[in-house]
Amino acid sequence: MYKLFLAGRYTLGRPVSYLAMVAIGLAVMALIAVAGIMNGFLAETERVIRGTTADVIVTPFPWDGEVPSRAKVAEVIEAHPSVKAAAPRFSRPAVFKMRGRDSAMGLSKFAEHFMVSVVGIDVENESRATEFDAYLAAVRNNPEGEGYAVESMERPFRLDRGRIRDPELRFAPLPRVLMAHSRMLSFGLKVGDALEIVTIPDSSDLDSKSFDASTSTFVIAGAYDTSYDKFDGATLFVPREDFPAWAGTDQEFNEVAVQAVEGADLEALKHDLEESLERELRMAFEVETWEDRHATWLGAVKNERNILFVLFGFFLLLVCTITFSVLTMLVQQKVRDIGILSSMGATAGGIGAVFALSGVMIATLGGLFGLLAGELLAAKLNTVKDWIEATFGVQIFDRRVYAFSEIPMDNDHLLNLGITGVTVIAAVFICLIPALRAAWLDPVDALRHE
Amino acid sequence: MSDVHPPAAKELVLDARGLTRRYRMGATQLDVLQGAELQLARGEIVAIIGRSGVGKSTLLHLLGLLDRPDAGSMKLAGVETTKLSKAARARLRNQHVGFVFQFYHLFPELSALENAMLPGMITHRFFAWRSKRAGVRERAKALLERLELGERLKHKPGQLSGGERQRVAIARALAGRPSLLLCDEPTGNLDERTSESITNLLLDLAREHGQSLVLVTHDPELARRADRCLTMHEGRLVPAEVATEIAHPSASPASGSPE
Ligand SMILES: Nc1ncnc2c1ncn2[C@@H]1O[C@H](COP(=O)(O)OP(=O)(O)O)[C@@H](O)[C@H]1O
Ligand SMILES: [Mg+2]
Repeated sequence: MYKLFLAGRYTLGRPVSYLAMVAIGLAVMALIAVAGIMNGFLAETERVIRGTTADVIVTPFPWDGEVPSRAKVAEVIEAHPSVKAAAPRFSRPAVFKMRGRDSAMGLSKFAEHFMVSVVGIDVENESRATEFDAYLAAVRNNPEGEGYAVESMERPFRLDRGRIRDPELRFAPLPRVLMAHSRMLSFGLKVGDALEIVTIPDSSDLDSKSFDASTSTFVIAGAYDTSYDKFDGATLFVPREDFPAWAGTDQEFNEVAVQAVEGADLEALKHDLEESLERELRMAFEVETWEDRHATWLGAVKNERNILFVLFGFFLLLVCTITFSVLTMLVQQKVRDIGILSSMGATAGGIGAVFALSGVMIATLGGLFGLLAGELLAAKLNTVKDWIEATFGVQIFDRRVYAFSEIPMDNDHLLNLGITGVTVIAAVFICLIPALRAAWLDPVDALRHE
Repeated sequence: MSDVHPPAAKELVLDARGLTRRYRMGATQLDVLQGAELQLARGEIVAIIGRSGVGKSTLLHLLGLLDRPDAGSMKLAGVETTKLSKAARARLRNQHVGFVFQFYHLFPELSALENAMLPGMITHRFFAWRSKRAGVRERAKALLERLELGERLKHKPGQLSGGERQRVAIARALAGRPSLLLCDEPTGNLDERTSESITNLLLDLAREHGQSLVLVTHDPELARRADRCLTMHEGRLVPAEVATEIAHPSASPASGSPE
C-alpha cells in the first residue's frame, strides 16, 4: 500500500515535479499543435488542389495532327467506367488591365497589367467535372459577398446590361468574365466593371521579333471564391464560346478536365485513358492526375510533415531528460528514506516501485495536461493567433505567403493520443533507471548516507 | 546481572552466535565484528555501550536483518535468517523488528500519524489495506497519544522539536508490534533533559508491553537501567562494568569473560 501512497506524496509534495509535468505537458502540447498544423497544411493543400484541379487532365498535342472535336474526345473519355464527367475547355495565359484606370504618370506599363490564366468553360460540363458550382455558391453564402455574387447559378455569365458601369459599354455585345472575390476586393472592382484581357493569338509567329497581341474587353459578371488564394489570384473564367474569337484560335478546346468516380484508381485510369485515346483517335494525349500536376508542391508539404518525426524524436529526448533528472534528484534526496523503508521491511522491489510510480505519475499527469492543452490549442488555434496578433501587433501568419486564409489545422485525436501515449511510455521507461538504482541501493549504506 | 546470556529457560527472541563482519577497503581489511554473541529473552532490555566506531551500529544492522554477517548464525523469533532470501528477510524484518535511529529519520512529507502508520502500510497489500486501515490507524494513534503526541498527530516533522520527532520515531518503530526493538543511540542528538524524558518513556513503554529491546547508548544512566549491560571488546560483546565505563571512558572494558 505504501508504494502508491509515498509515490503520491513525493510527487505531489514537490514543486519540481510540477515543473516536470508542465515541461512534459508543453512538449506534448507543442507537438500536437505542430502535428495538427502540418497535417492541416497537407490536408488543406490536397483539398485545395483537388478542389481547383480536376482528378485527371487530358491535353492534346495539337502538332500531332488534327485535333478531334470536343464531343468526340469527351465521348471516348466518358466511355471509361471510372469516369464520371469530362469537360473540354480552354486554358491559356494572359494579362489583364482594368479598363478606365489609366496609368499614373511614369508608371511602367507592366505595373498595371496582371498575369492570369484564362479558363474558357462550358458551365454545365464544368459543374459536373469540377467544384465550379461551389465556388460561385461560396460568394453567395458569404455575407460580405453581397453585390459580388453571380445573378444566376445556372447562367453565371449572365449580367443585366443595366449593371454595366460604363454607359458607353452597355450596348456593345461584350463577353463576360468571372473574377475571384478576394481579387475584386483588393483591386476595388465591382460587378459591371470591365477588364481588357490580352493574349497572344495562335496566328502569331512567336519566332519573329514582334508579334501581334489580341485584346478583348470583358465585363465582370460576378465573383467566385475557391478559398485558395493562389488559384483565385491567377484565374479568370470566361465562356468557352467566347474564347476562340478573343484568343484567335480555331480549336474547340485545349484541355479536358476529367472527374473520376468516387474511389477510382487514378493511376490506372490515367493509363487506360492514354491507351484508349490513342487507339480511338490516333493521336497522342498527355494524361496527368491532379497529383502529377502538383507533385512538387505536394512533395514539399509531405516532406515538411516528415520533419515532424525528427522533431518528435527531439521532444522525446527532451521529455526523457527532464523526467530522468527529476527522478534522479528525487532518489538522491530520498536515500535516507530508502534506508528507513528497508528497515521497516520494504522489499527492494517495493522501493523501486515507489520511484517508478512517481515517474508514472509525473509522466501521466504531464502527458494528460499536454493532451488537454494540445487539444485546446488545436481547437482554438486561430483564436489564439488572432489574439497574439492583436495584442502584440505582430503578424504570425500571412495569408498571402501561404495559400490559405487561416492556419490550417487537421486535429487528429487518435494521433494526439498516440503522441501522448508514446511520450508517457518513453518517460516511464526512462524513470525505471533511477527507480532501479533506488531498489539496488544497499539499505545500510542508505542509512549511513549523510 | 551483567551477563551475555539471558536468564535461562525463557523464550529467546534473538539468538545470534559467532557473528563476524568485516569491511574491505582496498588492500586493508577492518574486522569490526569477530564472533559476537547475543541472546535476548522476550521482554528483556539489553544496553550496549562503547566507544564510537567499535561496531555497535554494525551489530544492530545485523540483528535487524539489514545486513548479512560474513559468518555466524542469526535466529530471530525462532527462524534461522542467514540463509533466507532478501524478500523473506524483508518480511521478517517487517513483522519482527522495529528500528529507532539517532537522527529520527522521519519522512518529512508525512504527518506524525502517517509516519507511525507506515509499517502497517508496508505489511498490508493495496487491496487488503481498505479493511486494515482503521486498525493500523488506531494503533498508531494510541501509541502517539501514549507518547504524549496526541495533539500533534497532523503535524509534519518540520513542525516538531527533536524530542517530539524521536517520540514519533519510537511510535513508528513500535507500531508493527515488533518482537525486537533496536535503538541506535536514540537520545544521542538530544539535550540532557529531553534525553531523560525520552529514555523514561521508552523504558516504561518497553516494560509495559514486555518489549524486547536492544539499546545502544552513550548514556551510562540509561545503560544502568537495562536488565543487562554489554560492551564491545575486540569485536565481541562482553559484560560491561558500567561504573568503569563512566570513570574511564577510554579504558578497556571490565574483565570478566562470558562463561
Ligand atoms: N561501509 C563501510 N565500509 C567501511 N568501513 C565501515 C563501513 N561501515 C562502517 N565501517 C567502519 O566500521 C566501524 C564500525 O562502525 P559502526 O558500526 O558505525 O560503529 P559505532 O556504531 O560503534 O560507532 C567503524 O570503524 C566504521 O568506520
Ligand atoms: Mg553508530
